Amino acid sequence: MTNIDHILDQIDTLPALPTTSVKIVSIIGNPNASVGEIVEAIKYDQALTGEVLRLCNSAYFGLSRQITSLNDAMVCLGTLKLLQLVMAVHTNGILNQPQAGYGLEGGMLWRQSVATAIAAAEFAKAARYPNVNLAFTAGLLQGIGKLVLSSYVAKSANEILRLVDEEHKSFDDAEKAVLGSTHSEIGALVAERWKLPEVIVRSIRHQHDPSALSPPDTLVDIVHLALCTVLLMGISLGTDGLCYRADESVMARHGLTHADLEVVGMNMCTELQRLAALQESPSVAVGASS
Amino acid sequence: MIGATDTQSEVSTASARAGGGASAKSAQITVDIADLAVTNKPSKIITHSLGSCIGVTIWDPEVRVGGMIHYMLPDGALSPEKAKAKPAMFATTGVPALFRAAFAMGAVKKRLIVKVAGGSTLLDDNGTFNIGKRNYVMLRKLLWKNEILIKSEDVGGAISRTLVLDVATGRVVIRNRNGEREL
Repeated sequence: MTNIDHILDQIDTLPALPTTSVKIVSIIGNPNASVGEIVEAIKYDQALTGEVLRLCNSAYFGLSRQITSLNDAMVCLGTLKLLQLVMAVHTNGILNQPQAGYGLEGGMLWRQSVATAIAAAEFAKAARYPNVNLAFTAGLLQGIGKLVLSSYVAKSANEILRLVDEEHKSFDDAEKAVLGSTHSEIGALVAERWKLPEVIVRSIRHQHDPSALSPPDTLVDIVHLALCTVLLMGISLGTDGLCYRADESVMARHGLTHADLEVVGMNMCTELQRLAALQESPSVAVGASS
Repeated sequence: MIGATDTQSEVSTASARAGGGASAKSAQITVDIADLAVTNKPSKIITHSLGSCIGVTIWDPEVRVGGMIHYMLPDGALSPEKAKAKPAMFATTGVPALFRAAFAMGAVKKRLIVKVAGGSTLLDDNGTFNIGKRNYVMLRKLLWKNEILIKSEDVGGAISRTLVLDVATGRVVIRNRNGEREL
């Protein structure tokens, strides 16, 4: 059995994304989806409903009255903000584990993923991409291949880093050379297995080489820019550091300049610090949902 | 204005916490992104995960006042509102704030030893993404205008760095995935 076969087998052992998350992502991917469908997707998941209400009543939103139902929450916060939070919290269980192969301690991959999600939403606005929620979600999930590949990277770390240091390969090119696949390719396979929309699968597969797609795909471009920004800002950097290619043509394609990059970086860090505080804050007691 | 008139011994928005022994000697101050800290206690000041951001340490060997900033972006003109709320986010507002806070504790410009780390960038970058270089150029400009020299530095490349200043001794250490060395 080759290394790559082993790796592919591992994909099946990964815990599945919670059903509600899969449903929400599908709804987000559909431009004609209604608020009612979102409420439907969440309301049968009691744990998630409880979490949504806890978040709504936390200091983060600073609402003056208590939110006691999902409909209430949708009205007060808007679906966009709320869905982003639900997805960020819901992926915490999967992305929160340490990933030793990448030098990431517990919580670091989740933090980097949320940062990428926030930056992707910002770039979506800057590039006038209509589905900001989809951009957020794609950014959030770009790192899932690391969950599978981490233990293989750990075993071959010396060889991978030698290629990076001595042959100036990017980290993903070095993964390909040593392991036969990259965390982007593996991540795309995981996303397929989780039945996520094709556009998200594509953005994971081409996060480091968006110009390989012809014609280019705006969502893939957005995820690439978001990830570049997060690495530059030093959010949860691992042993792979900043050893990835930045594709300058993506910036030109969307009429973006270095000032846009800096503004996104600035807003992302501010938002990330608020979100992190929310995660650390003790649960806010909420009444039973009605 | 940070440190302009204050006489306290520690100026920091960073999380200060006692280390293993909980004594003053082992206290460690962690400087987060867009943050700075200055102290005259024998603490260690540390910042993690410098990418394109720049970490600057300053230390006065006579009064043993030390400080560190971890700024993200070169120019506060990008957002005057954020520059006011969080000066340490930018070189133009954060670096002067760092020096002012040290002066308020008795540090003297001529004695200050300045060390610099960070400013990394991604591969294949020809300029658009090079926040690290712009961060570094802005620092050089600010220090040059104020006739301040950089004693040593470790900047550029595509790696993540951790920067530590021991205020008791002035020793500055850089850590990356290849190990650690004194700066």
